[in-house]
Amino acid sequence: MSTLYLDRPSPIHRLNPITKLIGVLAIILLVFALPYWWAPLAILVLVVVPAALLARVGGRLLLVGGAILVPLLLVVAIGQGFFNTRGETILFSIGSFDFALEGVLFAAAVGGRTAVLVTAAMLLLLTTHPGKLLSALSQNGMPPKMAYVISSTLQMLPAFRTRADSIILAQRSRGLKTRGNPIRRFAVLIPLLSPLILGVFVDVDERSTAMEARAFASTGPRTALEIVKDPVGEKVARWVVMLLAVGALVVSFMGLYPEMSWPL
Amino acid sequence: MTGVHYAYPDADHEVLTGVDLSVDAGQVVGIVGASGAGKTTLAKSIAGFIPHSEGGELTGSVVVDGLKVADATLAQVVSRVGLVTQNPFNQISGAKYTVREEIAFGLENLGVPRDEMSERVDAVGTRLGIRELFERSPYALSGGQMQLVAIASMMIMAPRVLVMDEPTSQLDPSGSRLVFDIVNGLADDGTAVVIFEHKLELLREHADVLHVLADGVIARSGSAREVLADPRTDEWGVGSTRFTRAARRAIEQKLLPATTALPVSLEDAKAVFSK
Amino acid sequence: MTDIDKPADPHRTRNNIFIIAGTVVVIATYLYLILAQPAVVDENFNLNGTGAIIPLAGYVIGALLIAVGAINRLPTTTLVLVPVAILINIVVGQITASLGLPLYLDSIGTILVGVVAGPAAGAVTGGLSNVIWGLTLSPLALPFAIVAIVIGALAGWAARIGVFRTYWAPPIAGIVTGIIAALASSPISAFIFGGATGGGTGAIVQAFQAFGNSLLASTTLQGLLSDPLDKLITFTIVMLILLALPSRFKQRFPFVRQYNVLPGMKKKASTPAA
Repeated sequence: MSTLYLDRPSPIHRLNPITKLIGVLAIILLVFALPYWWAPLAILVLVVVPAALLARVGGRLLLVGGAILVPLLLVVAIGQGFFNTRGETILFSIGSFDFALEGVLFAAAVGGRTAVLVTAAMLLLLTTHPGKLLSALSQNGMPPKMAYVISSTLQMLPAFRTRADSIILAQRSRGLKTRGNPIRRFAVLIPLLSPLILGVFVDVDERSTAMEARAFASTGPRTALEIVKDPVGEKVARWVVMLLAVGALVVSFMGLYPEMSWPL
Repeated sequence: MTGVHYAYPDADHEVLTGVDLSVDAGQVVGIVGASGAGKTTLAKSIAGFIPHSEGGELTGSVVVDGLKVADATLAQVVSRVGLVTQNPFNQISGAKYTVREEIAFGLENLGVPRDEMSERVDAVGTRLGIRELFERSPYALSGGQMQLVAIASMMIMAPRVLVMDEPTSQLDPSGSRLVFDIVNGLADDGTAVVIFEHKLELLREHADVLHVLADGVIARSGSAREVLADPRTDEWGVGSTRFTRAARRAIEQKLLPATTALPVSLEDAKAVFSK
Repeated sequence: MTDIDKPADPHRTRNNIFIIAGTVVVIATYLYLILAQPAVVDENFNLNGTGAIIPLAGYVIGALLIAVGAINRLPTTTLVLVPVAILINIVVGQITASLGLPLYLDSIGTILVGVVAGPAAGAVTGGLSNVIWGLTLSPLALPFAIVAIVIGALAGWAARIGVFRTYWAPPIAGIVTGIIAALASSPISAFIFGGATGGGTGAIVQAFQAFGNSLLASTTLQGLLSDPLDKLITFTIVMLILLALPSRFKQRFPFVRQYNVLPGMKKKASTPAA
C-alpha cells in the first residue's frame, strides 16, 4: 500500500469517503473562519484528536503528522520568536538576540493552522482505502481519466520505489559514490535516471491499446460494479456540516466575530 | 481483410504491403512470422487500432462482422474485436484495486447494467478458474495469473473476434498450454480467434489454419501441418519444430531419403523415423 | 482521423470553458493577493481568516477546473504516459532528497511529458503529481498543485515555439520557468501557510524576514533562490534525455511531429493534429 491507509475496524473507516472529505473540508473552513489565534489548537484538540482516537489511528497520525509538522513548527517558532518585528514581551535573550512572546504567538497562529490542515487531511487518508476513495469520487462525478491516472500511479508506486532502491544499490555496489560533494552526487544521478525514464516510453502502445480495447475512450454513460454505500443519514449530515462551516465563514467575512485581544 | 497496406506515420516504407486474410467464426487462426515481419502491426489493424489510434496510411479494407473498421468508431470496433497482448503487466488497467473490478472495467466503460455485469464477471471467472483471485489486487498476481485476468477482461466483452499477439511469450509452458485450451474453448463457442505466436508446436496442436507473414504479405497459408512442413519456413524466419529439425538433420546425413515428408509432431516423427 | 483521436470532441467547448474558468479564478486570486496583501495575523494575534481562505479556495478550485478540462482533452495514447511520468517525479524527487542535494528535481516527468505531448498533458502531469504527493507524502503539496500545472504547461509551450530544437535554449527556458514558478508559489507559502511550509525552506524564509523583508518578499526570495536553478537543471536533463532516446520513441508523439519539437527534425508543413 502506497498511501497512509491503515485497515482498522472503526466507525470512521466505515463512513462514505465523501462524508469524510466533506468533514475535512468543513474543519479546514472552520479553521480559517475563526479569527482567534487559539482556534486551530482548539479544533486540533476537540475535533481532530478525538476523531483519530475513535478511528484507532492516533499513534500513526502523531508519527507521520509529527514528521512533517515538528521541523516546520520549530523553525517558525524560533525564527519568529527572535525576529518578529512586533516582539515586545521578551522571554529570554541569547547574546544580543531577544526571544519575544509575540513571535511565538504568531508562530502558534500560522503553525496551528498548517497543523490542522495536515492532520485533518491525514485523518481522511489514514482511514480511507484509496480504491474506495476513488470509487466514491468517480461515482460523484470525478472524470474517469483522472481516477485512472491517480489509481494506477498509486498502485505502481511500490514497484517503482523498489526499482529505484535496487538501482541505487546496484550503482553503489559498482563503486559509484552517493556521498561526496554536490556536483559528484549530481553526476551519480544521471545513470540512475535513464532506466526509470525509458519506462515512460517503452510499452506506451501496449498500455494504450489495452485501455482502448476495453472501451476506455468511450464517451457514453458508465456504470460501476461496486457501489460505495451512501446512507441517507450521511448525506444529511454532510449538508448540515457544510452549512455550519460555510455559515461560520460568512460570519467571518462580515467581520461579526467579537474582537478579542490577547490573551484571548 | 483484403489488400491491406499500411505505413506508420513518418515511416518511409510500408510495414504491410498487401495482406489478404479471412477468418471464420469458430476458427483458430495462427499467424507466424519473423520478428519485424509486421505481426504486431497486423494484429492491431485487425483489432481496429490501426489507423484509429496510430495514424498513418492504411489502404485496403478490414471488415469485422460486417463492420468496415475504417468507417466505424473505435468504440464500435472494440465491442466486436478483443485484443490480448504480450506483457500482462501492461494490460492491467491500474484503474481498479481488485481483480473482480478489473475484469468488469470494460463493461463499466460501456455502461452495462450492474446486475448483468456481475453475472458476466462471475461466469468468466468460473470459466477461467480465477474466482479465487477475485478479491486480490491485480498487481499482486504472478505473470501467468495476470495474463489470465487480461484474457478474462477481453472475454467478458464477448468479442466476435479475439486477436492475441504473442499471449504466451511471458508465460511458462503450463501457462501457455492453459491459454491455448481457453482459445479452443472460445472457438468452440463460435468466437474467431487470431493468434500470433512463435510456439509452433502449440499452434500445430491447436490452430485450424496457419498463415505465414513475411515481408508484409501472407507468404503461405494452409493447415498447420502443411505450413510447418514447408521447407521455406527458415527462409521466412518462422523457425521449425524440433521434429522437423531432426528430420532435416537426418536427411542431410542421408539417414532419411530426401523425399521424406517433413514431420511436425511426435507422431509424425515416430512414423518417419521408424521406417 | 476518426473520432477516437479526439475523444473529447463532443465536449471540446465544455473542456475549454473549464480551463478558461480555472485560469480566471487563479489569476483573480493571484491579483487579489498581490494587490491586497492581506495580513496573516493582525495586531491582536487574531488570524485573518478571509485573507487565507481566498487563496486556498481560489488556487485549489482553479487547479481542479484546469486539470479536469485538460485531462479530458488528452487521448488515451497520451494519458498512459502520465502515471509513469508522475512516478518519475516522485521517485527522482525522493532520490534527490536522499542524496542530500540542494535541489528538488521533482518535475522531470512533468517537463518531459509537456515537451513530447504538449501543454495540456504537461499541466495534467504536474497537477496530478501534487495530488499523488499529497496523498502519499504530505498534504501540504496540494495547494501548490497550480504551480506544477503552470510548470507543465510552460514546458509544453516552450517546446511548441521550438526551444527544444536548439541546445542552448532549454536551460534559459528552465530559468524563466523557475522564476515564474517562484512568483506563483510565493503567495501560497506566504498567505496560506505564513511561510511555514517546511523545515529547510522555512528556515530560509525566516532568515529573509529577519533582515526586515515582508513575508511575501521573503517567500519570493526563497523561491527565487532555488526554483530557477532547479528548473535550469531539470530542463537540461530533459534535453539530454531526449537527445539520448531512440527516435522511434520520439516520432510516436503527434505533438512532436506536428510542431517539429526536437533538434534535427525534418522540416515539413504542419499536419493537422493527429
